[in-house]
Amino acid sequence: MIYGDHTTGVIVQGATGNQGAFHINLMNQYAQETGGRGVVAGVTPGKGGQTVHGVPVYNSIREAMAEHDVTTSVLFVPGFAAGDSIMEAASAGLELVTAITEGIPVHDTMRALAFARMEGCTVIGPNCPGTLSPGELKLGIMPPHLAMPGNVGIISRSGTLTYEVINELTRAGIGQSTVVGIGGDPVIGQTFTEVLERFESDSQTKAVVLIGEVGGNLEEEGATSTNLPLVSYIAGVSAPPEKRMGHAGAIIEGGEGDAVSKIARLSRLGIPVAGKPSDIPALVRELL
Amino acid sequence: MKLLEFEAKEIFKKNGIPIPDGVVIRSPDELRRHLNGFTDEVVVKSQVDVGGRGKAGGIIVTPKAEAVDAATHLFSFPIKGLIPKAILVEEKLPIDHEYYVSITIDRTTRQPMILFAETGGVDIEETARTRPDALRRAGFSPLLSDVPGFLMREILGGAPKELGPVINNLYRAFCASDALLAEINPLVTTSRGVYAADAKLIVDDNALKRQGITSNRDLTPREREAEENGFSYVELEGSIGVIGNGAGLTMSTLDLIAHYNGKAANFLDVGGGAGRERVMKAVRLVAGMPDVKVIVVNLLGGITRCDEVARGIIDAGIDQQVITRLAGTNEEEGRALLAKNGYKMLDTMEDVVKEAVREAAA
Repeated sequence: MIYGDHTTGVIVQGATGNQGAFHINLMNQYAQETGGRGVVAGVTPGKGGQTVHGVPVYNSIREAMAEHDVTTSVLFVPGFAAGDSIMEAASAGLELVTAITEGIPVHDTMRALAFARMEGCTVIGPNCPGTLSPGELKLGIMPPHLAMPGNVGIISRSGTLTYEVINELTRAGIGQSTVVGIGGDPVIGQTFTEVLERFESDSQTKAVVLIGEVGGNLEEEGATSTNLPLVSYIAGVSAPPEKRMGHAGAIIEGGEGDAVSKIARLSRLGIPVAGKPSDIPALVRELL
Repeated sequence: MKLLEFEAKEIFKKNGIPIPDGVVIRSPDELRRHLNGFTDEVVVKSQVDVGGRGKAGGIIVTPKAEAVDAATHLFSFPIKGLIPKAILVEEKLPIDHEYYVSITIDRTTRQPMILFAETGGVDIEETARTRPDALRRAGFSPLLSDVPGFLMREILGGAPKELGPVINNLYRAFCASDALLAEINPLVTTSRGVYAADAKLIVDDNALKRQGITSNRDLTPREREAEENGFSYVELEGSIGVIGNGAGLTMSTLDLIAHYNGKAANFLDVGGGAGRERVMKAVRLVAGMPDVKVIVVNLLGGITRCDEVARGIIDAGIDQQVITRLAGTNEEEGRALLAKNGYKMLDTMEDVVKEAVREAAA
């Protein structure tokens, strides 16, 4: 529970769009199962007064906050407007924004993140599946039924690959504390380093799985920043250079950020790196 | 998307960066009409999207009398397999000194980062190796609309002050064009002032629409089809077709194929919540690659409906074998549909990959 618990009230930004409405429903189903508050308000400029799956919609975050006790938002606003919506949430005083949206221009992300930092607002994503603390809180789009509560944290740049790893861990009887999808874009709010910092002060988390991929060196930076026991897996060993592998940030550029040298650097730090996702549970078990 | 040199220079010019006088030609004949505008020597530059053009013979310095011959040569001279559609012909600058400058986005600090070197005209990697003392870098807040003066002084060190306004305009061009990289190599000083002798600009694919840029990439028909359908698609050279959902899972599937000594033919991410029609199109697209013997479909997600995916695979009706791993709603129904139509569906990604590698080798 590093980003909230069942008492956390949630705003969905972009509530009336297809994705927003669909996931309000799923997040609230999970909240109902786990006794959480779930999504209490939606925001879409110009659509105030409507309801989505029984959730009232407001024109702005400030309007929603005047009516509800909320600290966090999950954002489904389309790419061209999402940077602005992040800044709106930060300016209104929300503590946390989880930006699911894919396709935000990176200059918009960069400016929105800088603005949010000034306002003291934490941003997860963009281009991420959000977070899941099994049995407590789901912020975003992760399928919660693969997961089970436990002591292992997961931090990942990917979506479905994360579900794969959750699934492997659960099948091996290893539960998860919080699963964090930090996003597949080159510029993201919470990096491995910042999430690990939160895990360090979380008494529930005993070990963390880092799921990385080609592009950049955020995995290695994170790994050097913590004393928590870590296991890693890096996707893209077979990725060709200079090709974007689905994610905007998954590209080997100028000979940097390839999976083999990432794995070598992590191994040198003494971190076990799984050769394939199904090897992760055994490596985690050795740490617990 | 990486722009061609002349496209990048147009953007630089709009942002107040001096560029050499020149013309863009689409045929050698076009050059004859423009030659009067040049004195003595000209530089004839092939406009292909390839690094190391100069070394490969794509840039020719020549007296203007022989410029048409040089252009004729370059129009049929392939560089790393690419023939230029356009050639840039420019005045030859009286260069005093060459510098390097680029602006990128630093993933760690989430800020713009200026990289400057006192020696330009060579690979920045080479300068980093041979003259690390000549390199300087500085990051600053993306909320600033100009490079702060104190940082500019740090970056320039002993280099001429007149480079400062050009570097600041490069930052403005970087922001205005949604660039991931804006580079001038070399940035040159001459008796007439500072010029961007070369120009490199990579524009964020997520911003192409608002930049009004249409893709200039030479796509294969399959790459074009993938783009039209919104698939992330990369062609490789093996015989095992791959369809997955999510970039990470699809990459991981490719890695697993390599792990079991198979060779993947492609990377195709169908995206979230793929339904019947999307799956059918993806399967047909991959099956259309000439070397594909077998296709792995690896879809995992809470909201993917397995029966829909199964129908898409069956609708595709391709000759090659399709081996599927699905997890999501209506799994049983999907499995039954596939089984009834003679398709294999297995429980784990390892099982589908192993099976596919076996089939491809058979």
